[in-house]
Amino acid sequence: MGAECQVMGLFTDEDRAASTVKALKKTPWHLKQVHSPVPSHKLSEALNIKKSKVGYFTLVGGIIGFFLGFALAMFTSAKWSLIVGGKPVIALVPFVIVGFEFTILFAVFGNVIGLLTQGGLPDYKGLNVYDPRCSGDHFGVLAACPEAEKNQLITYFKEKGGVTRVFEPSPSADP
Amino acid sequence: MLSLKNKRLVILGAVLIALGFLAFVIQAAGDHPERAWQAYLINFLLWSAIAQGGLLFSVIMHLTKAKWSGPLNNVSEVFAAFFPISFGLFLILFLGKSYVFPWLHMDLHGKEVWLNVPFLFFRDGMALLILYGLGFAYLFNALQLKTIRQPTGGRLRSFLDQKMGANPDVKRIRQRMSTFSVLYALAFACALSLIGYDLVMALDPHWVSTLFGAYQFIKAFYVGLGGLIILASVLYLSQGESSGLTSSHFHNLGKLFFAFCLLWADFFYVQLVVIWYGNIPEETAYVIERTMASPWNLLAWCVFIVCFVLPFFILLNKNVKTKPKFMMILATVILIGIWLEHLLLVGPAISHGTRGLPLGLLDGLITLGFFGLMIFAVVYFLDEFPELKRFEPSAGKR
Repeated sequence: MGAECQVMGLFTDEDRAASTVKALKKTPWHLKQVHSPVPSHKLSEALNIKKSKVGYFTLVGGIIGFFLGFALAMFTSAKWSLIVGGKPVIALVPFVIVGFEFTILFAVFGNVIGLLTQGGLPDYKGLNVYDPRCSGDHFGVLAACPEAEKNQLITYFKEKGGVTRVFEPSPSADP
Repeated sequence: MLSLKNKRLVILGAVLIALGFLAFVIQAAGDHPERAWQAYLINFLLWSAIAQGGLLFSVIMHLTKAKWSGPLNNVSEVFAAFFPISFGLFLILFLGKSYVFPWLHMDLHGKEVWLNVPFLFFRDGMALLILYGLGFAYLFNALQLKTIRQPTGGRLRSFLDQKMGANPDVKRIRQRMSTFSVLYALAFACALSLIGYDLVMALDPHWVSTLFGAYQFIKAFYVGLGGLIILASVLYLSQGESSGLTSSHFHNLGKLFFAFCLLWADFFYVQLVVIWYGNIPEETAYVIERTMASPWNLLAWCVFIVCFVLPFFILLNKNVKTKPKFMMILATVILIGIWLEHLLLVGPAISHGTRGLPLGLLDGLITLGFFGLMIFAVVYFLDEFPELKRFEPSAGKR
């Protein structure tokens, strides 16, 4: 078996990209990656993507932040007790504000951590097989095939109505 | 199912109204007539808010050019049918003025200029008239784009069909709708603030909270959304596909409901924290009586849990929001919670010095009577304009 060659089919049409993704599963070639300039329900349906777990990261972050906010407010108040207007040192009513803000802050932290870990970011290797048109108006479908079948795969993509770009496995491309 | 031709529904509505009226008479003739008027005031406020907030949904969707709501706009417009009833109920409130306005027998220290019965009824009546007038003006134009000129035999329908031109100029009507929707949204905030100040806050005339009006109209939209969820669920469950509603409509509506649940709690908290920091006796007395002293403290916690804690944790879940049956139950529970919240606000002033909670079977029956009125209003309107429950995508785009 020869070296693997990666070919990207670029589509301007969302439906065509999605149907190509579906059709590729029936061929011997491997679907590697799909790049989309916009979030696409059709593509995620074609790829059969499982429900994202990022929400749980956000939830856990929020819960941690809620208690941390109250804890911080209580700790600082107890450490430097400034008694103003006969108010109790540890008063829950105003601490709700701190708790609320921390809930949001830590939910955001959780969300970002979830995004990075679940999305496998940052992905430097992926840059080698990236086409800037995928950040413009093209949907990119990347598939791998043995070197010998390269031309077959290119015609396959062209039949589906796409433009193709070949990514050769050259050593200079590695960072 | 939702039609005046449905005998069972008509009988149910009539029985509910009769029961409510009977309960009101028994209560008013008994030892505690103020309890009858207390329940009347609470129900007037709550059911009017459902109608006003219900229509506000369609208005906001038009203003923001939202496309996701689709047939939900139609459902929301049905609530305007309660406006005339609501205005009538407001006028009847005049009969109970000596019970619902405890300040009539108090020394007001100069506040008489504002708090006197003729002026109060004049300004609140005017506010309601303007609000309802603008609501109907918006509705008239909105209906013009939706109705197919086909007489359904109803008297209101044939009258309106005459008024509406044969070929509506869509662009002009849309402009008019925009004008009236801005005015309605503004009037909603102003009128409901005024009603909140006059009919709820002023019952305790020495207590003032500047945020009270805003709290009232945010709450009104919250209950309006609750009512909308219930009616949309009923239409969806009884008609299925032909209502044009899908589970994603309920999902999005549920999100909005969730947001206003948070906003309601936020307005409550914002009021509380200012009073807490200020710690001035004439401000704190109101809060202490309602949240810390028996018998109201239990009710206060109950309201807080039912209207905020419970929906907050339930509505975090996505699947729940897409299930009309469940959302209907949840919205009903929250509406009951808001009923109790009204009781918490007006109860201590009207039933001054009670040992136990002034809440019993008769109050529930009076509430059901108002529910009967709402049923008739909604069903009558749906009979006149059956287009509103049978969604045709082509009709909405005209």
